[in-house]
Amino acid sequence: MSAKRTILVCCDTGCIASGSKAVVTALKEQLALAAAAGVAGAAATDATVEPLVKQTGCHGFCGYGPVVKVMPDDISYYRVKPKDAAAIIESLGGEPVERLLYRDDAGQRVTGREENPFYSSQKKLALRNVGELDPELLDDALSRGVYESLKKALTMTPEEIISQVERSGIRGRGGAGFPAGRKWRIAAGYNNNPKYVILNGDEGDPGAFMDRSMLEGDPHSVLEGVAICAVAVGATDAYLYIRDEYTTALRTMKQAILDAEAAGILGDSVLGSDKQLRVQVVRGGGAFVCGESSAMIASIEGAVGEPRAKYIRSTQEGLWGQPTVLNNVETFINIPLIIANGGDWYAQTGTDKSKGTKVFALVGKIKRSGLIEVPMGTTLREIIFDIGGGIPGNRRFKAIQTGGPSGGCLPDSLLDVPVDFDTLLEYGSMMGSGGMIVMDERTCMVETARYYVEFLARECCGKCVPCREGLRWLLDILTRICEGEGEFADLEILEGICETMTLASRCALGKTAANPVITTLRYFHDEYEEHITHKRCPAGVCRMGVAP
Amino acid sequence: MTVNLMIDGLACEAAPGQHVLDVARQNGVEIPTLCHHEALAGQACCRLCVVEIEEASGSRDVVVSCTYPAKEGLKVSTNSEQVRRLRRTVLTLLAERAPLAEGALPAYCQEYGVTGYDLRFTVDKDEKCILCGLCTKACAELGNSAIETTLRGVDKQVAPPFDEPPAACIGCASCAEVCPTGAIACEDADGVRTIWEKEFELLRCEACGKPFATAEELAWLKERLLDTELNLAYCPSCRGKMSLKDLT
Ligand SMILES: Cc1cc2nc3c(=O)[nH]c(=O)nc-3n(C[C@H](O)[C@H](O)[C@H](O)COP(=O)(O)O)c2cc1C
Ligand code: SF4
Ligand code: FES
Repeated sequence: MSAKRTILVCCDTGCIASGSKAVVTALKEQLALAAAAGVAGAAATDATVEPLVKQTGCHGFCGYGPVVKVMPDDISYYRVKPKDAAAIIESLGGEPVERLLYRDDAGQRVTGREENPFYSSQKKLALRNVGELDPELLDDALSRGVYESLKKALTMTPEEIISQVERSGIRGRGGAGFPAGRKWRIAAGYNNNPKYVILNGDEGDPGAFMDRSMLEGDPHSVLEGVAICAVAVGATDAYLYIRDEYTTALRTMKQAILDAEAAGILGDSVLGSDKQLRVQVVRGGGAFVCGESSAMIASIEGAVGEPRAKYIRSTQEGLWGQPTVLNNVETFINIPLIIANGGDWYAQTGTDKSKGTKVFALVGKIKRSGLIEVPMGTTLREIIFDIGGGIPGNRRFKAIQTGGPSGGCLPDSLLDVPVDFDTLLEYGSMMGSGGMIVMDERTCMVETARYYVEFLARECCGKCVPCREGLRWLLDILTRICEGEGEFADLEILEGICETMTLASRCALGKTAANPVITTLRYFHDEYEEHITHKRCPAGVCRMGVAP
Repeated sequence: MTVNLMIDGLACEAAPGQHVLDVARQNGVEIPTLCHHEALAGQACCRLCVVEIEEASGSRDVVVSCTYPAKEGLKVSTNSEQVRRLRRTVLTLLAERAPLAEGALPAYCQEYGVTGYDLRFTVDKDEKCILCGLCTKACAELGNSAIETTLRGVDKQVAPPFDEPPAACIGCASCAEVCPTGAIACEDADGVRTIWEKEFELLRCEACGKPFATAEELAWLKERLLDTELNLAYCPSCRGKMSLKDLT
């Protein structure tokens, strides 16, 4: 077999941390050696078809990095070390290197992704190119069809584009789940120019990396989504607001913009049309609250990133008072698929009211952690046990925290609920941007609530009373309970504050910040009682100061 | 053009976009506020002015009346059991934060039966500031921005830059005037004003002899009012009398 082979090495943050750069170097060295010697693998059979080593974005299976995939054979290797490079090169075109393959739950070695339980029930729409191409090469993106949808969109009327997005039913992936098509239609309906498009790449949830993986792994598809939006609503300027710690994502996106401009895709003429689009990268303000849309707009305008008080939508009055569409990274990256295949095609995946797929960062006490993408409506059980392989060390599952710091903790009795926007809300949690943290029996739920409240107390803007003072009290009371100083009357105070925060706070941070407390009170009340009555932490986490 | 809305069952007319709080007050419906100031609208941070609303479409929500726009067919309920409960929690939180606050806050606490501060949650027993932000906004609107809110989250505070006597302060005391809780110390004694740890000499009115403004404040006014005939040697009240005399 002398087909051209590509060796895709994951060089996203997780795999780099486990040493993938050294693997790239070793693979290249071994290739050079093999080519020089005229032996080994494909290079031996056909010296003109040299395999290519590519550095790609995240393959998802971060707990088993560095990940290496050989294409087109679809052979994936895990926990690859530089010393494995020779064996991999030698095996090209022949038998895979057995010891580097994943061993499934039954102990079988599996070569392809289809047979790997971590991947087999996933569905990659948003992540279609992440891990499959070199994000620094525009040609790679083009060869996978990126910008074809933008081309198509330029032949459509704005109305046609928007109605496809509406038909797809796609809802915003940044948290609130507002229908993207409706948002675009509202902005398109205003005639006061200029209009703006903002990409929300602030991803402030601790431990989340969904959006980062897309920005770093498939920058041109993100840009394509932004450009289609701009064409649809009539915007000529777009801002990509990216979290300040994301140095690679910032660099990758800046480079992608330059490359796309040089190729005539963006800039004064979008793909040769009469549309223009300037895209700028803005470095985030560094506070969690800057991910909130009106705080982000203030931050781009150069003001302090605080949510605004006005009851007005940014589609009407956004950046510099002009109509503005603000969407999340994952929302944008889905758009080219919708334009290419039609809204109805997209709407086939997912549930009645939540269409398409959702990307999650599955972390915590779980065997197979990483970046996953599943159809909306997949149950928590499927995610945790089928994809994630369950809890390591034969421990018991206790809770899953979804939705970022102001999401909720759901217990095992809810494992069979489908994951979609409305169901999660119904049970007191939320989709958020897609963090999922699995907790086992050694996790204290009171301490967990305390942890999130502490984060939010530091990260809220501090402007309005229910959120700022409410969080201060919640933190104080929860800390007391964890220290064995809690009283039953405190639980009533907690509930009163939670209600006031939820109803009377100024922005969605405060309105959701009580979720960790509300859900742990609801589903793990017995743990609070144990702490208060018996001064005992059932999980053995809190030190109570008194002898047990 | 006007819009029609109901506030506590009372039919009211409003200009579109006029805030519900203003419409309510025009119609004699009282809603408690702390961070609202007519000249510095839009703070919307104390959240004491919460009301329940029902839109013409039937959707219901809890909003703050000081920034919520009046709309056709809106129904507002300013004093429901839920609204009162939310206000009581807000007042409790504030009372605990600023136990020495003066003025409207303790009065509202009394009105809403918020007693028995649970002093476990008080960080500073001498605190008066509720962080309404009116002082910094007033100062910024005057173009001085001598004081600012710093830090975020539960650590937010009002302070001059670097916690030093603020260089840009002209001693006009606008901040102290708009403060609803008496949190900003400003003292005029023996012809000297002390504010933000700075001392300003007070100039006397050439007509009545009363100290009325700091030299820095007058210099600031002069700079901004280049073309006016205002005689800055006189205090506002004497100035008023004089122009009347001039007219007659
Ligand atoms: C405190 C707070 C933080 C947020 N952080 C993010 C974020 O990091 N990324 C994001 O896309 N949306 C975030 N959001 C949601 C945005 O306000 C906004 O709803 C979203 O970006 C809109 O895009 P979408 O409709 O595509 O989801 C946050 C909201 C709040 C209240
Ligand atoms: S809810 Fe919290 S983050 Fe939002 S405006 Fe109020 S203090 Fe700021
Ligand atoms: S008066 Fe409306 S929020 Fe303070």
